[in-house]
Amino acid sequence: MATQEESIAAVIARFPDDVVGQGVHAGQHWVFVKRERVIEALQLLRDTLGYDMLMDLTAVDYLNQGAPERFCVVYQLYSLASNEYFRVKTWVPEGDPTVDTASDLWKSAPWGERETWDMFGITFKGNKDLRRILMPTDYPGHPLRKDYPLKGNGERFNFPKYSR
Amino acid sequence: MGLESWMPEGALTTRVDELVKWGRKNSLWPMPFGVACCAIEMMATLTSRYDLSRFGSEAIRFSPRQADLMIVSGRISIKMMPVLAKIWEQMPEPKYCISMGACASCGGIFDTYTMVQGVDNFIPVDVYIPGCPPRPEGLIDAVIKIQEMVANEKMSKRH
Ligand code: SF4
Repeated sequence: MATQEESIAAVIARFPDDVVGQGVHAGQHWVFVKRERVIEALQLLRDTLGYDMLMDLTAVDYLNQGAPERFCVVYQLYSLASNEYFRVKTWVPEGDPTVDTASDLWKSAPWGERETWDMFGITFKGNKDLRRILMPTDYPGHPLRKDYPLKGNGERFNFPKYSR
Repeated sequence: MGLESWMPEGALTTRVDELVKWGRKNSLWPMPFGVACCAIEMMATLTSRYDLSRFGSEAIRFSPRQADLMIVSGRISIKMMPVLAKIWEQMPEPKYCISMGACASCGGIFDTYTMVQGVDNFIPVDVYIPGCPPRPEGLIDAVIKIQEMVANEKMSKRH
């Protein structure tokens, strides 16, 4: 089983032109992979480096924070054998918020993709069941986007009234 | 004295109105709409320590068709609001509603896109209980207030 440092080296060796950044915080490493290659990188990590569990799949909205792109999709991996965590991130532009689906790699991916789509409006190409998971099915927006008003667009007053 | 002196012992006269109200008042069956932390206090109210059955309201009905007092205890999200409205509609008249706690009454600290800002925006509420969460004594007080309401209203008003 590979340590996190070895895993970073292996990902960079395999995709020298597609790793656009790396870092470490609190003992956990991450790599930024271009979104065209992110599924291949995840497959490499799962099949040869032992990260067999997708713990979480989510996104971050970097609106007006000087980031390269507005959205960042985050894959949090875990290796049951070596008890190591590893994070893969990818930048997603605002104009074309799509990423390929990871549902062929992990059965847990569709759930995270549904939540990420529900909250951020990021589409996952190839996910056949991209329905809302937290918000009501007829909800009109993606509320975790930073430009979504905290108090909503009036959805909370949109119900019939009953009187005696 | 009057009519009663003509009747056998053990019988008494009253008005139908008063008798029905007396029965209603002492057998309020709550429908617990407990969706958050306030529901814990509602459960505590039903335990032997606070003993809501002293007031005839211990028969918690999870079927709205058998209940006449809805206790909304907890925060109502916009996904839950249609459910609440449906259950309210299923309850037969006469029905009453207690809005328990800050969240049910006005949204509390959750002034966000996903929270209904007070169930009284959509269903009629008879008694509000302040607090986060209210103590069981607060809920008992609210039940007694509902009992007073029942005792003082005209039967013809609700049927
Ligand atoms: S009023 Fe307080 S205790 Fe009651 S549901 Fe809201 S947060 Fe929880």
